[in-house]
Amino acid sequence: MKVQEVVIAVSVAAMALLLAYAVEIGGLGPIAPHRIRDLAVAYLINTYNPWNITLSSLSLEAVTAIVWDYRGIDTFFETSVLFVAIVGVTSLLRGFSEKTGLGGAGLSEIVKTSTRILAPLILVAGIAIALHGHLTPGGGFQGGSFIAVLFILLSVAFSLDYAVKLGVSSRKLLALRSSGLIGILATSLALLVAGLLLGVNSYIFQNMAREGAPLSMPSWLLDRPTGGTLLWFNTFEALAVAAGISLAFLVLSLREEEMKEALGQGEWYE
Amino acid sequence: MSDPISPVFTVIFICLTINIGMSLYGIFVRPSLVKKFIALTIFSDTLNCFAVAIGFRRVLDTYPSVAVLATLPESPEQLSQLASAAVDPLPQALVLTAVVIGLAVYMFLTGLIIMYYRYYRTTRVDVVRGGKFG
Repeated sequence: MKVQEVVIAVSVAAMALLLAYAVEIGGLGPIAPHRIRDLAVAYLINTYNPWNITLSSLSLEAVTAIVWDYRGIDTFFETSVLFVAIVGVTSLLRGFSEKTGLGGAGLSEIVKTSTRILAPLILVAGIAIALHGHLTPGGGFQGGSFIAVLFILLSVAFSLDYAVKLGVSSRKLLALRSSGLIGILATSLALLVAGLLLGVNSYIFQNMAREGAPLSMPSWLLDRPTGGTLLWFNTFEALAVAAGISLAFLVLSLREEEMKEALGQGEWYE
Repeated sequence: MSDPISPVFTVIFICLTINIGMSLYGIFVRPSLVKKFIALTIFSDTLNCFAVAIGFRRVLDTYPSVAVLATLPESPEQLSQLASAAVDPLPQALVLTAVVIGLAVYMFLTGLIIMYYRYYRTTRVDVVRGGKFG
């Protein structure tokens, strides 16, 4: 170990200790105060508030309400960032093709059997997390990531060949991903179009009735509150994220022989 | 320190600051891109933990249970009672956004590291000589 590394390690440790001491004596302000900010109180009171519907989103979960209702446009662009990253990965590793018969039979029979038991549970849990996003902690992104784990587990335990034989292909996944984004776009424009057709004011990303814009999304499905647009946003986001992460994993896990074969031998990155 | 919560928070904050130190060490010193990448994920997760910790509060023990709406509220008083005990939801929502964008960045970085490995046959940044960009 060189002197330079020792100096760096010691100074980093000293920084951590000094910061910790500053926290301990209260030099950075009180940790975990009794009160929270007025903005947080407003969110907590208005998230599910049938007595003041022009400020409410009628969702029982404050985080989902903030993510998809109060800061909806923010989240739309965040989903776009994820989409752009996936487009970047697919174009960076371009030239791949889903070939079968390149060897690799997956892991042992024990792993395969336990994966067979786990797979439907993962799927159901992911869908439940996504569809209950406005009622319990979770939401579209979390549920979608959960479902993407299913594909990753299948392609690791049963080999990528198996997944490709099942009919998974990058084109299909990209189509699913795009249809999820189109669903999000359609949900965000639904009340705007309805307002234009009925001749009343309405906003983009509108969920519940606001002042001067009387239209609301249906907030009850059978005997459950749906949070208006939140159920649809979570559903489409789960679809988009599950397909997107699966696509990224499919592209990133393609083997080198496959790339070489697809692009021809020799100078294939010049 | 009279109340029992403060030492717990102090320990958590010390652990998080040490985490930051270790991950910065990994990012700056380790030569392997994979280890830099792992340290980067630890760094961003630690910062997200800090952001969530901003929204925490010390709850007075007047609220009967965990501060969630287990059933549909029947009166506005129930809502103000919830708001008197629940934590700040806004940092959690912002952290969720940060996690999603972080995932996008990590996916792209993974692709870049794989390309680097295929081109140079190594993930170390300090031994590359004479490559196209070396």
